[in-house]
Amino acid sequence: MLEVRALDVFYGDARALWGVELEVGETEIVSIVGPNGAGKSTLVNTLAGLHRDLRGQVLMRGSDITRLASHRVCRHGLAIVPEGRRIFPAMSVRDNLDLGAYRPEARAEHDDTLAWVHELFPRLRDRAGQAAGTLSGGEQQMLAIGRALMARPELLLLDEPSLGLAPVIVDEVFEVLQTVNARGVSILLVEQNVHRALDISQRAYLLAEGRIAMQGTPAELLASDEVRRSVLGVAT
Amino acid sequence: MARRGLALLLLAAAVLAAAAPLREVFGFPTFYLIFMATVFFWVAQSTSWNILSGYSGYFSFGQGAFFGVGAYATAVLMSRHDFDFIATLPVAGLVAVLIALAIGAVAFRLRSLRGEIFALLTLAVPFIIAPFVRVTPALDGGQGLRVPVPRQYVDLVGGFPEFIFLASLAIATLAVAIAYTAQHSRMGWALFAIRDAENVAEGLGVPTFRYKMLAISLNGFIAGLAGAVFAVQVGFLTVEGVFNLTVPLFVIVMSVLGGRSHWLGPALGALVIVSMRDRLAASGFEGWSLVILGLVLATLVLLAPEGLMARLLIRPRAASLVFAAVFLALAAYGGWGAPLDWLAVAMAAAAVVAFLPVSRRRLRQQEARLLADEAIAGPAEVQPVETEPAEVQPVEVQPAANLLAQPAPAPELGQPVIECLDVARSFGGVHALRGVSLTVREGELVGLVGPNGSGKTTLVNLISGAFAPTGGEIRILGRSTRAMPQHRMAHLGVARTYQIPRPFESMSVRDNVAVAIMFGRQPRSLAEARRLAAEHLELVGLSRLAGARPSEINLHERQLLEMARALAGRPRVLLLDEALAGLNPAEIDNATQVVRRIHQSGVTIVLVEHLLRVVNQLATRIVVLDQGLALADGAPQAVMSDPAVIQAYLGKGAHA
Amino acid sequence: MNLQLLLQVAVSGALAGGLFALMAMGLSLTWGMLRVINLAHFVMILLGAYLAYELSTAASIDPLLTLIVTVPVMFGAGAAIQWLFQASRISEFNSLLVSFGILIVVVQLITNYWTADFRQLEANLNPYVRQSLRLGELVLPLHHLLGFGFATGISVGGYLILERTVIGRALRAFAQDPAIAAAFGIDHNRLALLLAGAAGGTAAVAGTLWAIGNPLTPAQGFEWIGVVFAIVIIGGIGNVLGTLVAGALVLALYSVVSLVWSPSVAPLVVFSAIVVTLVLRPQGLFSRRGS
Repeated sequence: MLEVRALDVFYGDARALWGVELEVGETEIVSIVGPNGAGKSTLVNTLAGLHRDLRGQVLMRGSDITRLASHRVCRHGLAIVPEGRRIFPAMSVRDNLDLGAYRPEARAEHDDTLAWVHELFPRLRDRAGQAAGTLSGGEQQMLAIGRALMARPELLLLDEPSLGLAPVIVDEVFEVLQTVNARGVSILLVEQNVHRALDISQRAYLLAEGRIAMQGTPAELLASDEVRRSVLGVAT
Repeated sequence: MARRGLALLLLAAAVLAAAAPLREVFGFPTFYLIFMATVFFWVAQSTSWNILSGYSGYFSFGQGAFFGVGAYATAVLMSRHDFDFIATLPVAGLVAVLIALAIGAVAFRLRSLRGEIFALLTLAVPFIIAPFVRVTPALDGGQGLRVPVPRQYVDLVGGFPEFIFLASLAIATLAVAIAYTAQHSRMGWALFAIRDAENVAEGLGVPTFRYKMLAISLNGFIAGLAGAVFAVQVGFLTVEGVFNLTVPLFVIVMSVLGGRSHWLGPALGALVIVSMRDRLAASGFEGWSLVILGLVLATLVLLAPEGLMARLLIRPRAASLVFAAVFLALAAYGGWGAPLDWLAVAMAAAAVVAFLPVSRRRLRQQEARLLADEAIAGPAEVQPVETEPAEVQPVEVQPAANLLAQPAPAPELGQPVIECLDVARSFGGVHALRGVSLTVREGELVGLVGPNGSGKTTLVNLISGAFAPTGGEIRILGRSTRAMPQHRMAHLGVARTYQIPRPFESMSVRDNVAVAIMFGRQPRSLAEARRLAAEHLELVGLSRLAGARPSEINLHERQLLEMARALAGRPRVLLLDEALAGLNPAEIDNATQVVRRIHQSGVTIVLVEHLLRVVNQLATRIVVLDQGLALADGAPQAVMSDPAVIQAYLGKGAHA
Repeated sequence: MNLQLLLQVAVSGALAGGLFALMAMGLSLTWGMLRVINLAHFVMILLGAYLAYELSTAASIDPLLTLIVTVPVMFGAGAAIQWLFQASRISEFNSLLVSFGILIVVVQLITNYWTADFRQLEANLNPYVRQSLRLGELVLPLHHLLGFGFATGISVGGYLILERTVIGRALRAFAQDPAIAAAFGIDHNRLALLLAGAAGGTAAVAGTLWAIGNPLTPAQGFEWIGVVFAIVIIGGIGNVLGTLVAGALVLALYSVVSLVWSPSVAPLVVFSAIVVTLVLRPQGLFSRRGS
């Protein structure tokens, strides 16, 4: 479904990613783990079209989306749950969700999707009229996921969804991700919380200092010292 | 150097002043004196504006207020209280300074002040003063104010035009001399640093508030004096005639046209604009001069914000050739216009040549050279910078092998440099730090680590004084920093770098460091600071790039420059905020060596870094922050094998 | 001091504030949502006023009818200036300078064409200026009511569009987080032209209403700036309802201070209100966004 070929990403003369190769198949959950600053967020932002200083190729279902303006990328069925959630704080919960369904393909199915999102996160229905900035961290994360689902994505990009959340809430979020995946939505999950991410993934990549250092099944990554070493910077 | 420049300036003024008595000898018309007086008036106005707005970057629209109160001070004192003209001058200047200080005291204290807000605040000032002057009978009272001719001075110099010419020349000379001196003194460097990156300047020890107040006062003082001469020149003042937007418009257009980075830029702009207006008026197109001015402003801001001065210096020969050719051709033809027309057309032609497209790179170099004062900075030809090849061969990284291979020297722990006592900081309900206590002693290299969002950068911001804690207290060398301005903390010995390097873009690499020395813990003169800067550049390995501009060096080099600049103030403790972010492995290894060298030279360091292998290699002690609290604190090996730390980093599986 | 007089002055002031709020509205919206400070907004108002005067006089029609022409023209002008800003990727501060240049140019062109003399709509074409409504002891001039009515209608309408429609939601989202809004499919450039055009339209309305109630002279293009920016800042940048309330408050304050103290200190009071606002609530008095 998503293919990334020889992706180099730059910030001016600083380079963030070196030759990243990556694939996400239909209905897969794929996670990318690695230490802070390895370039994980850069990768997600680049895929979502938020960052455009790059070389290489990004294909979504075979069509080249490498250089599309970000407002066109979402037409190809990608939706992002950005790091730090970045909900629209002064808008109501309901407005945030409605905005998610901005692209015409999603607008047509707005009512059905909204019912589904409310079913996944009943709290978003209860707080529909509240300003999103006043939600708790966990609720904001749910809203960010709900907003992305409103776009009816085929591939959901999640950047550090567990960041700053209490463990109970993380459980809830990750359960919902599996439910969403069961409905046929592929997921590319970037996580600092290695164990959680690997728990729900079918495949995983280790990103370290801007390069794919390892790939394989969660079991393979966990069995290897590589992950521990690159995240903690120590030998074990 | 500065003295020689001033002497040249005074000589030029004296030569110009001689034109007044020589007028009758050569028989050129009085009109020329009036024309030149107008030029000088605007030279004074725009140059004074530029000291604040050009040098510091805070655009003021309030020039009319300074100029207006100066004019009214002289007018009221002369017409209502029979003051001598010369005696009114200090009053005119000081009244304007008071207005300036009032504006500055309010505006520069605003936490939320940005350039736009300053512009709008100053825009309002003339409109506040105007009605007050209009309805106050002791000042104007709505009738306007007749200003007597200062007979004794006029008789002394042989006529009213001569008097106005000489008085305007004097004020203009004073203005340019002050602008020249300011640019060649600590003040100029402080203001340029403020313009390029105000927070950084404050953090390096520049008392930014004081310098901004000084700049706005000088602006007011000179504008007030120019107003005094203006009052006598026009002979009749009205509120509408002085407190309007024409004055700020003119000074802004003149300075933007001439160039704001150079003391002579606004004067050049004034000469061009006044000539243009004069010629348009003489040809009956007076109504079009504002149209042209507005267009010039809009176009230049969009296409050539650096202005004429920098452009002319790139093509000095072409511009002067065209100027001479056009002037001589018109003179030889002789069938059109007067010499002033030829001059104006030739100037316009030279300006067009100057504004022909030129590469960004040359422009930036030229601007920086203007600033650097070419005589000191060395030969005009800047050596092309050898940039690293884009692809540095990735070095095989073997963290395990490097690990603690070169342990930091066993630190002899000295007195506490930083003491954080239960420090907390929240941002509108979000608790970034929830009570962290931490002591850093002299000689330590403390690694401050933690997952994203754990509060590391917030802690650095608090310790460096960028903002104040909402709870707890921070002591530097035993002194409480409560309510202490940031530049004072720099003088106590705290320095920092920024995650995204923020060099002073208009200065060379060497001057970036020199400016930090000039305002550091042991202030030095510019010449000495430039000499000392070389040592710091040597320490971080940037010597060969000393003459380059920050925009010409790569990220790694900019980060090294951050370090050199932070060290230049001779800090007791250096806070490095993610100084390795975005570097490739080879660069990381180099930067690691540099940090070690800095530490070995005796500087205490707090290193915020997410590359843990580097932290493990360098730190004598590691502090782990998680969710705004200190999770662990101790020797690197012990901390990194603490299960709580491992969990904070790796997370825990739902079923683990 | 006569209480009746004080009330009359305060109410008249507040009503007159409606027109100033209308002038401020477009400026506030483009500043808040598009991050440009468009001083050329003031010449769109001025030009709207002169066009209303010219068309109404030439065709002998009610000045309000000229809106049919002036609103689309100013819509185009607003969108054109925004296009220039977008094409040059201008910074917020430089937009202020460039539009200051445009302001100077157009005011001078207006002066060249219509001269600096005062122009006034002929009384027989302008039924609004001499009539007034009596409410007990209070006298409410019709043209003030008209201005306040338009201002209320436009600000409430604008508020509803922003809060309730797809486009409004997209604009608000963009103002809060441009990158994420774009990631959900919002094409900012088109929306921005639309919004800047609408702001131009409100300028035309404000100009026409100004021409109905006041004699015209080109210098007014500059004289409005101070008070209008006070309203923008006090009302909260980008907040249409706040702008309306701030307009009424600022002008009522202005009138009351002029009456009980002196007209000469009224601008000082208004200016102090801006400074106090900037110090205490930089987001404006009526913004919901917490401090």
